Amino acid sequence: MYFPYFIAYIAIGLVVTLTLFFWALRNGQFQDQQRARFLPLRDDDGPPVRVSRWARLQMHGLFFLVAAGLAASAAVLMYAAYFN
Amino acid sequence: MTAETKEIPASYATAKAFCLTSAFWMMVATFYGLLGATELIAPDLTANIGGIVFGRVRPTHINLVLFGFVTPGLLGAAFFFIPRLLGTPLYSERLGVFTALAWNAALVALVATLAMGLTQGREYAELIWPIDVAVVLVFALTFFNFTMTVARRQEKILYVSVWYVLAGCILTACTYALGNVIWRPNSGALVGIPDAILLWFYGHNVFGLLLTPLSAGVTYYVIPRATRAPLYSHTLSLLGFWSLIVVYTHIGTHHLLQVPVPTWLKVVAIVDSVAMVIPVMAFLINIWYTAKGKLGEIHADVGAKFVFTGTIMYFFVSIQGSFMALPDVQRVTHFNNWVVAHAHIGVLGFAGMIALGGIYFTIPKMTGRPLFSRFLADFQYWMVLIGMVGFTIVLTIAGLIQGNAWLNGETVYRVLPQIHVYYVTRAGLGLLIFTSALLGFYNIVRSLLPQRGAMP
Repeated sequence: MYFPYFIAYIAIGLVVTLTLFFWALRNGQFQDQQRARFLPLRDDDGPPVRVSRWARLQMHGLFFLVAAGLAASAAVLMYAAYFN
Repeated sequence: MTAETKEIPASYATAKAFCLTSAFWMMVATFYGLLGATELIAPDLTANIGGIVFGRVRPTHINLVLFGFVTPGLLGAAFFFIPRLLGTPLYSERLGVFTALAWNAALVALVATLAMGLTQGREYAELIWPIDVAVVLVFALTFFNFTMTVARRQEKILYVSVWYVLAGCILTACTYALGNVIWRPNSGALVGIPDAILLWFYGHNVFGLLLTPLSAGVTYYVIPRATRAPLYSHTLSLLGFWSLIVVYTHIGTHHLLQVPVPTWLKVVAIVDSVAMVIPVMAFLINIWYTAKGKLGEIHADVGAKFVFTGTIMYFFVSIQGSFMALPDVQRVTHFNNWVVAHAHIGVLGFAGMIALGGIYFTIPKMTGRPLFSRFLADFQYWMVLIGMVGFTIVLTIAGLIQGNAWLNGETVYRVLPQIHVYYVTRAGLGLLIFTSALLGFYNIVRSLLPQRGAMP
């Protein structure tokens, strides 16, 4: 008999989540979202870094990996569809 | 519009302790991974050494990666940025350091008990009851420390990273207790199909409700700071957070599509697995738009580079995961090395990369000095990236060979010789990852120690 565990967990989870959500709503957590965007920038990191040619090359390498990964994923999907 | 600058007096002892924990256990965890990969090539290698036979090495590797390397790395960064985002010091550094020590004691016990063969025999939930209790306790202590910091905050609005970290800690404490059936100390299990459902509810959530929220929290902090740009949309980030909470909790049963669990549960699991596209894309669009036009700045900071690469891997692993939940795709991809490749993209490529990025990004800010060696960190980045992408390629190919063979009714012994070469390649790549962990540990320790002449 496993339903009591699951129902209890669902009920507790729902109550806690909804309580938190409505606390956030009433507490103004969903207001002033423009200011919230800047919160990580409180700390000053000094002058911006210069972008090197090596950094750009790495970026292109990463882009190549992304494209290869996408192509591989597409190939697998077609493969799976074929065997279906 | 800018946010005001505030100095938070802090020693960051807890953050440093968790960073060190992560760096140390990454070495041990990857060593176990390498050992396991070697045993798949040479099964008799450790046949007479009970403590390190494959059946004990694999769970040790998985649990150490999860609780020893990735989670402490992400928490190390979180213990740095949560006080800063809330404008107040951490509630208790003493409690934080105690938590880190207890965490390490639990990890030592984990290795010792699994080596002795003390296991509950459920995948991802092997640890025996006393260690289960310790894991729940350290997550509860971490949550308590963060919650009390939130209660004392000077900043009214909780930035999305705070939401993610708090949720990751408390959801893991609950999910871990439930999934490990902690109220039954002797077995740590229910019986039959209900136990399988519960186990995979836990098995998937331990990634989705621990590593994903913690990684998202670290990313939402690191990328805006590294690019010196405000987050693209805080509203979108909250939408992503709440949709993750709603959707992710239901998808574990997609591991059991070929098992006689109730059909409605399978349907829920598949639908929500596909619906994961919503929180995933909300997160990625937000981060990638924040970084738009500033990729050079990201690559100029090794920590941010790790983190950004982790977001790309998150894209792959999530899209892959949604498709893998479809029964037609799963006929090919399940019960073979495809899943192992998927797991490595997720845990190493996504969460592991972000954990390392969080460590490398925050250490210079904690110590007020640059990293001991930027070169070593860069070197580690490429070793991990090449190793992880290599894992993905060879294990995916091996998985497709196996999946095709199972569909055609082939026997296992005829397939094993075909995938041997991929296992050899995988072990070679594992050596790369293990070596990178050694370099990383040295670099992190030297970065945290008082320096006498740093390297370039």
